[in-house]
Amino acid sequence: MNRKKAFQIIVTLPVVVYSLLLILIPIVYVLFLSFLKSDSFGGIEYQFTLENYLMIFDIIYIKILLKSFIIGLLTTFICICISYPFSIFLMDKSETKRNLLIKLVMIPFLTNSLIRTYGWIVLLRKSGVVNTTLSSLNLIDKPLNLMYNNLGIIIGMVYTLLPFMILPVYSAVSKIDARVIDAAKDLGANKIKRFIHIIVPETLAGVFNGSLMVFIPAIGYFFISDILGGGKIMIVGNLIKNQFLTARNWPFGAAISIFLIVFTFLLIRIYKKIGGKLDELGGL
Amino acid sequence: MKRKIILLLLILLMSCSCSKETTRELNVLNWTSYIPDEVIHDFEKQYNIKVNYGTYSSNEELLAKISSSKEGTYDLIFPSDYMIEVMKQRGLIDKLDKSKLTNYSNINPLFLNQEYDQYNEYSLPFLMATTLLAINTENIHDNITGYNDLLNPEYQNNIVLLDDQRIVIGAALQSFGYNMNDFSDEHLEDAYEFLMNLKKNVKAFDSDSPKTFLISKEVDIGLVWNAEGILAREENPNIQLVYPKEGYALSMDNYVLVKNGHNQDNAYLFIDYLLQDDVAQKIIDEYPYISTNKNISNLSDTELNSILKNGSYVTNSEINGENGIRKFDKLWARIK
Amino acid sequence: MEKKNKTLRNLFIILVYTFLYLPIVILVVFSFNASKMNIVFTHFTFEWYAKLFQNKDLLEAFRNTMIIAVVSTAVSTVIGTMSAVVLQKYDFKGKDLVNKLIYIPIVIPEIVLGIALLSVYTLFHLNLGMFTLILSHIAFSIPFVITSVRSTLTQLSPTYEQAAYDLGAGKIRTFFDVTLPLIMPGVISGGTLAFTLSLDDVVISYFTAGPGSNTLPLKIYSMIKTGITPDVNALSSLMLLVVIIVLVSITYIQSKSIQKRGKV
Repeated sequence: MNRKKAFQIIVTLPVVVYSLLLILIPIVYVLFLSFLKSDSFGGIEYQFTLENYLMIFDIIYIKILLKSFIIGLLTTFICICISYPFSIFLMDKSETKRNLLIKLVMIPFLTNSLIRTYGWIVLLRKSGVVNTTLSSLNLIDKPLNLMYNNLGIIIGMVYTLLPFMILPVYSAVSKIDARVIDAAKDLGANKIKRFIHIIVPETLAGVFNGSLMVFIPAIGYFFISDILGGGKIMIVGNLIKNQFLTARNWPFGAAISIFLIVFTFLLIRIYKKIGGKLDELGGL
Repeated sequence: MKRKIILLLLILLMSCSCSKETTRELNVLNWTSYIPDEVIHDFEKQYNIKVNYGTYSSNEELLAKISSSKEGTYDLIFPSDYMIEVMKQRGLIDKLDKSKLTNYSNINPLFLNQEYDQYNEYSLPFLMATTLLAINTENIHDNITGYNDLLNPEYQNNIVLLDDQRIVIGAALQSFGYNMNDFSDEHLEDAYEFLMNLKKNVKAFDSDSPKTFLISKEVDIGLVWNAEGILAREENPNIQLVYPKEGYALSMDNYVLVKNGHNQDNAYLFIDYLLQDDVAQKIIDEYPYISTNKNISNLSDTELNSILKNGSYVTNSEINGENGIRKFDKLWARIK
Repeated sequence: MEKKNKTLRNLFIILVYTFLYLPIVILVVFSFNASKMNIVFTHFTFEWYAKLFQNKDLLEAFRNTMIIAVVSTAVSTVIGTMSAVVLQKYDFKGKDLVNKLIYIPIVIPEIVLGIALLSVYTLFHLNLGMFTLILSHIAFSIPFVITSVRSTLTQLSPTYEQAAYDLGAGKIRTFFDVTLPLIMPGVISGGTLAFTLSLDDVVISYFTAGPGSNTLPLKIYSMIKTGITPDVNALSSLMLLVVIIVLVSITYIQSKSIQKRGKV
């Protein structure tokens, strides 16, 4: 009996140690930091304050938050608009073909994401492939501004995060019983009605799963806004990064992080309410 | 089987981290695009020292890295003038022992004993940079002489600025004829207005390689470091370099030892190596800043004197007892 | 009408793939381009592939990345698999909390985990470097392994293990001889996921790297900022080639084994 107990403790230890040491303590420490004062030397004063949270509501930072949320929402929306028809159209194909095509979605994402982002610079810049092609076809007479602006950031975000939407949406769509759709067809429901009344409710959890996995990274991926935004557009990711790596105001950076964590938990709550499972999040 | 693999990996890991202790190392943090890779590799070969070379793009970033990392993480850094005082006040740096440098005499005395480190106790000059305007005259036919000319609405999305708060806000202050180290709220508010107007014309903020924007013709105008401008002109002879009439920034970057660095002896070797004439030459061949080596000056004395006369150094923003850095940070976030 | 519809649908699918592959194809094409600037294609060359093997810094970053990915994947696969089994089989105090905690790295923005780990490393005066990088990669990989293994575990019928016990096998023996082979697909896919996440991580590495521990993504990030040279294109083309070879052979082996099973 004792040996059994000892064995159980030994095998349980790693996961407990891991979740305490590398998850709980770091997060609790950030929470602790967020209530401390920062001194003008960039150090931390051990003195309680709510200043950092109040600072988030300064109009400068509210604007940055809003901008990030808009970029994140647009990215999510575009990903949904691509993933739905893509998954539905894929259903026409045979199963082996479908499996192959889904693997093909994954391959680009097994290469370095920065390299792919760099690929977009080569494509989108003023003298880039897109502009030169368009002007040689006489479609434009002045190069388009495709990057170093919000458009560039959104293209980069959609590109980087698209598979996280396609996969859950596809797996939800593929689970819909084809007979239900046929029955609806027989009953005279047109395409739009079939989409709204059958496909949407059946795939809601999948779409929300995808939306979480797209939206949350999108507000934090500072490297995309850095590279494709020309360093003039700040999203929450850049803001946090700056507090830790240039402005040396760790407590403020910590407060924004806690704000993001709380926000994420709210979204997860909604996800669970509509029947989503945590285990399916981020599953590739 | 699996356990054996894990054991093997653990041993591998340990041997990795142990072997590091025994090889000779030097941990350097320097500005991006400042020392050619070749120079570092030659030094590594010659002295059998492994140089872990990291980079930063602004003094503020350097300060954050040094103050948040464990003591002894870095050995040698290259802060600019005003940052030396800031770091000294915070006890982040050590004094330099000039007697350990055999090539000390190669330094041009003109750059020694400056205000920011009166007797060069903590620093020795490495390279000097200035800001200037680079203009592609293929597409810009106006005569641009200063910062106010950049507000021309025709230049929409056509300017690259350094991603450096002190430099850019400083330039905005200079455009009104103020000192670039003016911290009064009123004048900073003017600078803010100026930059918000200018922002419509700004395509990007970049400190690491603004020349790329000019060379690839992404923009026609840049407020850039002098070497970046010169390199852009080498690729495209139509690029003209202009020292703004309202003034511009001077920036002297210095060898500085980080407090209690583990490899300070190696740092001295590296400094001494960089002070050699042939090495200094290699550096300015690739990055044509203003060399502090008296034997290989790339400018005539009159040119150099005129550059020094009209430019101004960024000063320590905390000198006036005001919390300057925070002010600049917030203003910068507002602009972006 | 139906036919036209079908062409439109296929066209949409093709467009999506074009979007997905365009930047990659461009990079591969430019890796054979003689011009250094990545702007116009001048003429064909293998020069950059040769240069790649002389670029010491890039190769060192590649080596670091591989060490981190292999070690962190190995550790997180073992701990993750163990954890998934333990969390399913045993009850212990605080299990609920642990069960909640392990989702945090999956759902919160990476940057938050990055700064949280950085803060704690600073608090405990750890030297930033390879060790902290590996630790951080383990931190974000384990949850993915756990969820992946757990999904196969829940489908597992307890009768197999019961049979093993009945035949007198001990716990450990049962695990290695019965349970592990059955959940292997979950372990492998979890491990693969951990490996790819580690290879590509920018955000968390950005905060937890130190001197001498440049990883490939960090190196590429700084190169993008200072002007990229085509040897990076060459490197990514090679990496892409490796990925495709691995994927194709996995698919091939899988289809072979399905055929075999079909025959029996």
